[in-house]
Amino acid sequence: MSEGALPKDDAVLRVDDLQKSFGGLAATDHATFAVERGTITGLIGPNGAGKSTLFNLISGFYEPDGGTVEVNGTDVTGMEPYQVADHGLIRTFQTPRKLEGMTVREAMLVGPRNQPGESFVNLFARPGTVGESESTNLAEAERILEEFEIDHLATQPATDISGGQMKLVELARAMLAEPEVLLLDEPVAGVNPTLAKKLKDQIRRLNEQGTTFLLIEHDMEFVMDLADPIVVLDQGSVLTEGTPEEVQGDDRVIDAYLGGGT
Amino acid sequence: MSLLSDPKAAVDDLSRPEAWVLGVSVAFALFLLGALLTGALGPTYFLFLVGLAGMYALLSFGLNAQWGFTGLINFSVAAFFGIGAYGSALMTADSSPIAGGFNPLVGLAVALVVAFVLALLIGIPTLRLRADYLAIASLGLAEVVRLIVLNERWLTNGSAGVRGIPSFFEGWPVFSTLPETMPGLRLVVIPGSPILLGTSFWRASLNVLLVLAFAGATFFVLRRAHRSPWGRVLRTIRSDEDLARALGKNTYSYKMQSFVLGSLIMALAGVFYTHLNLYVGPGDLDPITTFYAWVAVILGGSGSNRGALFGGIVIVTIREGTRFLNDVALPIDPAPLRLLLIGVVIVAVMRYRPQGILPPQRELIWPSAVDDRDPPDPPSSGVREQKGGGGDE
Repeated sequence: MSEGALPKDDAVLRVDDLQKSFGGLAATDHATFAVERGTITGLIGPNGAGKSTLFNLISGFYEPDGGTVEVNGTDVTGMEPYQVADHGLIRTFQTPRKLEGMTVREAMLVGPRNQPGESFVNLFARPGTVGESESTNLAEAERILEEFEIDHLATQPATDISGGQMKLVELARAMLAEPEVLLLDEPVAGVNPTLAKKLKDQIRRLNEQGTTFLLIEHDMEFVMDLADPIVVLDQGSVLTEGTPEEVQGDDRVIDAYLGGGT
Repeated sequence: MSLLSDPKAAVDDLSRPEAWVLGVSVAFALFLLGALLTGALGPTYFLFLVGLAGMYALLSFGLNAQWGFTGLINFSVAAFFGIGAYGSALMTADSSPIAGGFNPLVGLAVALVVAFVLALLIGIPTLRLRADYLAIASLGLAEVVRLIVLNERWLTNGSAGVRGIPSFFEGWPVFSTLPETMPGLRLVVIPGSPILLGTSFWRASLNVLLVLAFAGATFFVLRRAHRSPWGRVLRTIRSDEDLARALGKNTYSYKMQSFVLGSLIMALAGVFYTHLNLYVGPGDLDPITTFYAWVAVILGGSGSNRGALFGGIVIVTIREGTRFLNDVALPIDPAPLRLLLIGVVIVAVMRYRPQGILPPQRELIWPSAVDDRDPPDPPSSGVREQKGGGGDE
């Protein structure tokens, strides 16, 4: 069992010996790896390798049976998702989540963390502060929508836009939460090539501005072009980690995808 | 936007269902006015009905704050209503087996505190679980509360109920004696059938004033909450709780806040009912109240405060309006007809307008934040309209 052996001095996310079983199935089997600050780290592996389980463990949606998760040097193992988010880790979901009855910019405004207006008491005790922060957030939301070139959708119903646009909105919204590390679960699944390229450009741009990414993706061309390093997961544990070239040339990876899985 | 400063523009700004509801409401109000002036409808009884409508509106507001905002399925509306009613009745009535004789304001405070504690107790174990667990637990809670009220005689007088409840304004300066001091009026609209406005009329007017204050304050609070980031988190939870959690929202805390808020509003409705009816009995805790509240919210449009208000009024119209059908020869009794009518209304709404009559139709962003922007964005009316029309869900 080879582990993520690259030296990482400044890891924003560190997963150590993480375990999770469902009944007799070890979905995550002593997985260990780290995500270096400032990188776009890819997480690949055949179907059933445990990528989504790993995401759920890291983000607090599942409670691990063993092992630890550290975000920014803080142990967040067993914390609630909202607490993990408070430490700077935000995730998205494989299928875009729909917010019924909201416009796109309303849905965007769910993103910012710790808004004064999220306290019921503040609504009546400090309406001025609430209004100011709402103005700021709205301006920020519209700025990000513009950067993503979807500002024309701002007042559209959030449920009426295309799947690809939803993915863009989801990414844009996650950015409003100002994450230090953003976990993307299949950002381009079911997205047409033009939009996928746009998403790739956006992720790259945001990365250059300082956000660290960890992304699961099945589209090999997409992930090999975007991510470096790449962590390969197989049967719940880390098979190998390396640059796209190294991973592509690794026989064990090819085995896992072609032979080992079934 | 104000109806007063620019009525024409305000009316133009309405969406079609809004205009429709406004029209029907105006017609209905004119009809009632006609009935009042001709003496077909006694003014005191009419004010009692207005009070009842206000009470149902409060119940619907409460349920809307839980189901409409956050998607919490609460089947114990009647229990919280009953807690409010009994809480204030037992504190204020002469015949109360426990304390009794306190100022109604004390009764109000006690009722709200008890409802608050009960909401916490039922919320703590269930709100961490999936939505259906709250539904089941609350269904059980409603029965438990009803049976306690029915059987614990030392506490509640059992099936005899609580009598001798003072009016809400008992012990207040000016207000407590206002009905007696107001002059009796005699209005003659149609010669030969004068309308007498005496003490009972003024007492009923005070009750209407009270329910308007309760409902008005509640509406103000809920409207502000609904348009705030707080309300947005609740709406996110309703659509997709995991998304809210992933974005760093403590959903358990928000669900608890929404549940407690709604329960307090329901208890408020109960407090008002106590001082309107001046008698409470275990029958007031029957589950039918819960279902009336649900019908009102679904009919009005889940998530919409105006819709809840509208639904509450429709419920009272059906419930009480059918009493007047006694004069008309009908093949069936009015009582079953009432349930039949409500059933038909619900089926019709679900079939032709599943989102309800007045669903939320505008963006819900803190008003000052949107007003700051220039030029003001056109209100993107009909967020739900388009969706409803497309039939994509």
